[in-house]
Amino acid sequence: MAGEKRGGLLGLLDNFKEIFYGMASHDMTRYAIRTRASMEHLFILITMGDLLGVPILPPYYSLRLLPYVVPQISTWKRRMLREKDLTDAMA
Amino acid sequence: MSLRAVFEQHPERRYIMFGGKGGLGKTTFSAATAYWLARQGKRVLVFSVDPQASLSDIFQQNIFGKGPVQITENLWAQEIDADQRIKAYQDEIRQKILDMYGFERVPEEIENYITAASAEPAMEESAIFDAVVDIVVQGDYDYYIYDLVPLGHALYYLSMAKVYDEWITKITKLREEMREYDRVASVLRRQKELEEDKILNELQYIRGRISASSAILTDKRKTAFFFVLVPEEMILIDTRKAAELFARFDVPISGYVVNRVVPPELAQANVPEYLRNRIAMQQKYLAEIRQTFGNEVLAYVPELERDVTGLPAIERLAGIMYGS
Repeated sequence: MAGEKRGGLLGLLDNFKEIFYGMASHDMTRYAIRTRASMEHLFILITMGDLLGVPILPPYYSLRLLPYVVPQISTWKRRMLREKDLTDAMA
Repeated sequence: MSLRAVFEQHPERRYIMFGGKGGLGKTTFSAATAYWLARQGKRVLVFSVDPQASLSDIFQQNIFGKGPVQITENLWAQEIDADQRIKAYQDEIRQKILDMYGFERVPEEIENYITAASAEPAMEESAIFDAVVDIVVQGDYDYYIYDLVPLGHALYYLSMAKVYDEWITKITKLREEMREYDRVASVLRRQKELEEDKILNELQYIRGRISASSAILTDKRKTAFFFVLVPEEMILIDTRKAAELFARFDVPISGYVVNRVVPPELAQANVPEYLRNRIAMQQKYLAEIRQTFGNEVLAYVPELERDVTGLPAIERLAGIMYGS
């Protein structure tokens, strides 16, 4: 795709290809990110399940995972995310 | 089959456990076995996984939270201080959070979670569980003798170990799938670097820890599990139930040891009716035990005239259990 720009009609076709590819990948990206986001929620539910009274992991080990889910703990998410996430805009 | 024979015929069984209801003699037998093996020239570590440990009592020295303490030649004993371990661990977690996010202080909700999680009863047990992994992975000793918690908790461990292993496998799969999505997304965005999924690594670490410990408990080749009981009705009922449960969890039972047997010769002398009745009652249950467990019973240990504490008493018990 990169490299010499072709002139005339072929050049236009190249541009269309670029745009088309960009649009398609944009959609796929959105899908990929959205699906990952829902899996993140599932992950939190599973590991932090004891907050809901469901013992899943031994407490010793779920504590070990705590540092990684800090940003996902909702109140903190609100306070911490200053810049608007592009996915929020797309959603 | 005798206790001694089990050890002589199976030198590969290096993880020894005495299980059964509380107060029946697990700690005593663990200590006596450890002593006997040490006298055979083996390096032995006997350690307690019971938060209310009694190894300090039986060896008549305070070994709580001090790591492996040498008791006599070839013999070390250890009582794990779960609270100390949990506190140190909490501080590690706090520090990690501060480092990862550049906070000055740990956020309130996070701190609350840390405190609440540590107050859970299962926290103490899972901390000890994890400490045991360190002990056995080190591999310095010829024999490891686990002085187990009373029966109920041991079964909890075992059932939980299986459940946790399954969950971790599920969670790990889930995270791996998420990683795949990540990879797709970043390829599409033409990113050069892939974000490393640290959580995935943590899960694999945790799974490794849990497997290491529970694998030992269920390894037929390396583990010898001895069930302790006394000739009493309730204990007999519980033992039968427990034997079934252990079979279900694949814990290999090497044999049964009957403790507190009142010497039947006493019935011949001029003894009070109380004692005569006790002996008769025991004879009845001993017959049931023989019928139910047959030659899986490895030893009948008499009720001694004094409690077993201190090395001389332990040595004497070892002589009774294993012969000199």
